[in-house]
Amino acid sequence: MRVTAETKAATRKSILEAAQRLFSQQGFEATTTRDIAQAASIGVGTLFNYFPTKDSVALALVGDAWMRASEAFASGSQDSSSLEEELFAHVAALLRKLKPYRKYLPAVLETSLSPAASQEANGQPSLRSSHLEAVGQIAARYGELDSLSAVALQLYWTLLIGLLTFWATDSSPRQEDTLALLDQSLAMFAGWLRANVGQGSNLSSNSKSSSSPS
Amino acid sequence: MPTVAELMSALPESAEEAEVKERSPLPEMLQAWSLRPVPVGWFRRMQVLGTLQAKIGAAYLFHWLRGWFKSADENQRHLAETHWRTAFRVLDSMSYLRGATMKVGQTLASFPDIVPREFVETLEQLHFSAPPMHWSLLKEMVFNDLGDDPEKIFASFDKQAFAAASLGQVHRARLTSGEEVAVKIQYPGIGRTIRVDFRNLLMFLLPARLSRDWENAKEQFDDLRMRLERETDYEREAAMLAKVRPLFHEDDGIVVPRIFSDYCTPRILTMERLEGMHLDAFLETNPSQEVRNEFARKMLRAWYRMMYTGRLIYADMHPGNYLFMEDGRLGVIDFGFMLELDDTLWELMRMIDRPLTTGRRDDRIAAMKEWSWISDAPEDRDRLELSEEYADWCWHSRYDGGEFDFADEADFRRGIDLFVEMVRKRYNRSRPCTPVIARQQFGWRSMLYKLKAKIDVAPIAEEEIKATGWDRSEYAQPRSL
Repeated sequence: MRVTAETKAATRKSILEAAQRLFSQQGFEATTTRDIAQAASIGVGTLFNYFPTKDSVALALVGDAWMRASEAFASGSQDSSSLEEELFAHVAALLRKLKPYRKYLPAVLETSLSPAASQEANGQPSLRSSHLEAVGQIAARYGELDSLSAVALQLYWTLLIGLLTFWATDSSPRQEDTLALLDQSLAMFAGWLRANVGQGSNLSSNSKSSSSPS
Repeated sequence: MPTVAELMSALPESAEEAEVKERSPLPEMLQAWSLRPVPVGWFRRMQVLGTLQAKIGAAYLFHWLRGWFKSADENQRHLAETHWRTAFRVLDSMSYLRGATMKVGQTLASFPDIVPREFVETLEQLHFSAPPMHWSLLKEMVFNDLGDDPEKIFASFDKQAFAAASLGQVHRARLTSGEEVAVKIQYPGIGRTIRVDFRNLLMFLLPARLSRDWENAKEQFDDLRMRLERETDYEREAAMLAKVRPLFHEDDGIVVPRIFSDYCTPRILTMERLEGMHLDAFLETNPSQEVRNEFARKMLRAWYRMMYTGRLIYADMHPGNYLFMEDGRLGVIDFGFMLELDDTLWELMRMIDRPLTTGRRDDRIAAMKEWSWISDAPEDRDRLELSEEYADWCWHSRYDGGEFDFADEADFRRGIDLFVEMVRKRYNRSRPCTPVIARQQFGWRSMLYKLKAKIDVAPIAEEEIKATGWDRSEYAQPRSL
């Protein structure tokens, strides 16, 4: 039997909906792939055709939300007055969309989003590269940097993943501590960028002085 | 801008204390601490404030410490210094430190003559300046606490803060129902951070309790902690506003803003916005003596009303909390720090009503003995005499009768000198509420001093005290008002 692209997309959607329901009802850990297949009214084998592991289901959920957040941020009007403020707005938009998945973010963070993970997954541009591209564009709007160096981007990504990890287990009222951490982290990052620009350091990947030390 | 050394030398110091200073590494440590560059992070924004208030905080703490070390022997001093050093390291790492030292700065600003005048003027700016939160952060705070973006919750919302609270900021906004409001928003997590950090800090200080003055020092420490905690508890403040507002009526000419509880959370306080000038701006308009007197009477009336009808002490009498409105009304806008008079305190207030009314020395002595647990023993005599003199200074504007000239600098100085002497001699150890009571005493006196008010206090007091229902027939003469 031929499976059309529409059917595939519909199955994928119903798997993700079932998974999200189960994760929020009974928790990520307690949910098995069998539970998900059953809730989506498909066989476990079919499920594996779409998602090889439970983690990859979670990643797909997070990834979809992440992309929606990026689109929402890109299409919204930005009225920030500083680099740290716009970076803050960028991450805040992400947190709003990721909120339903907050508790099982660590499962995704440990694999696909970890600073140690490979940058490209299955030949697709990863969440990481598209997010960092947006960060580069924001930085270019405020600073003298046309684009950020790999070091700066790695540092930023490490901060972001650290923040998401903190957020996943943040028990403060309405996760207000995450906002404070984000504010302080971005102020630190922006301050560090400026300080280094001021000293003529090579944080810009296309700056003339960016040749590697021999 | 004064240096730390200048600030420290501006503070009173006894010969004995100077000796301790020479032997102790603490001054250098404190100086180094207060001069250190601001660490990176969100402190960067706070640099706009300058580090003045941090220096003042350091100078104040240093002064306090000096007194502390006075009675300790060499070993105790060494031990205490070690712990202080640890404690300061912790203090140093607290992200809201600038908020805390700002509070200390505000306290000092209530004492116009204890530090040079120009210095007080600078300090007063602190009531109105604080580090900003950018719009994106505010938006998330409103979104998380009130459920949607500020643009959707409010009909309009100013992105720029129009005033600063020490640990947050205030924005102008309009409700969808049309009311003009002031929205006070707190930096995320700061209230909880303060509570946890102060608990930790106290643990570091515990070894110092060997010192004779531990209780007194702890009291001052608790006072600062309580002040910061209350100022960050917006729910408590909202409840207080709701309690105080009905105490005033239209003909009082005193306004307390209305609270909009649907727009309030522990971190967001939304209240009616009053338009008016703060003290400095008001004085710049060269108001006549009568206009100044009228505002002074309202200030006193508001204070007495809260005390005698509301059983509340308005402990934060600094210029930032009053608005001089164009139509002559007085706005009282900040209720972050109110002391509720429980039954014990209420009885004490009743007890001191007699000396406050009669002005008799014997009555003052009896009251001070009871208030501060002073005995008749010869070793307590000096303390009793000084306390009696201080009580006379606190109260004589009320029982002297007639117009009292609050601009009298010599009289104001006398109060400061007496208080400083009591602190030096460790005579200020008393009931836990005493630091608060002393602060509000200097608070209202310094407000009236700056207003250069000439008013008769007694008629206002007599009118307001009726609400207590106390039987005062034994000592109070019926007055013709």
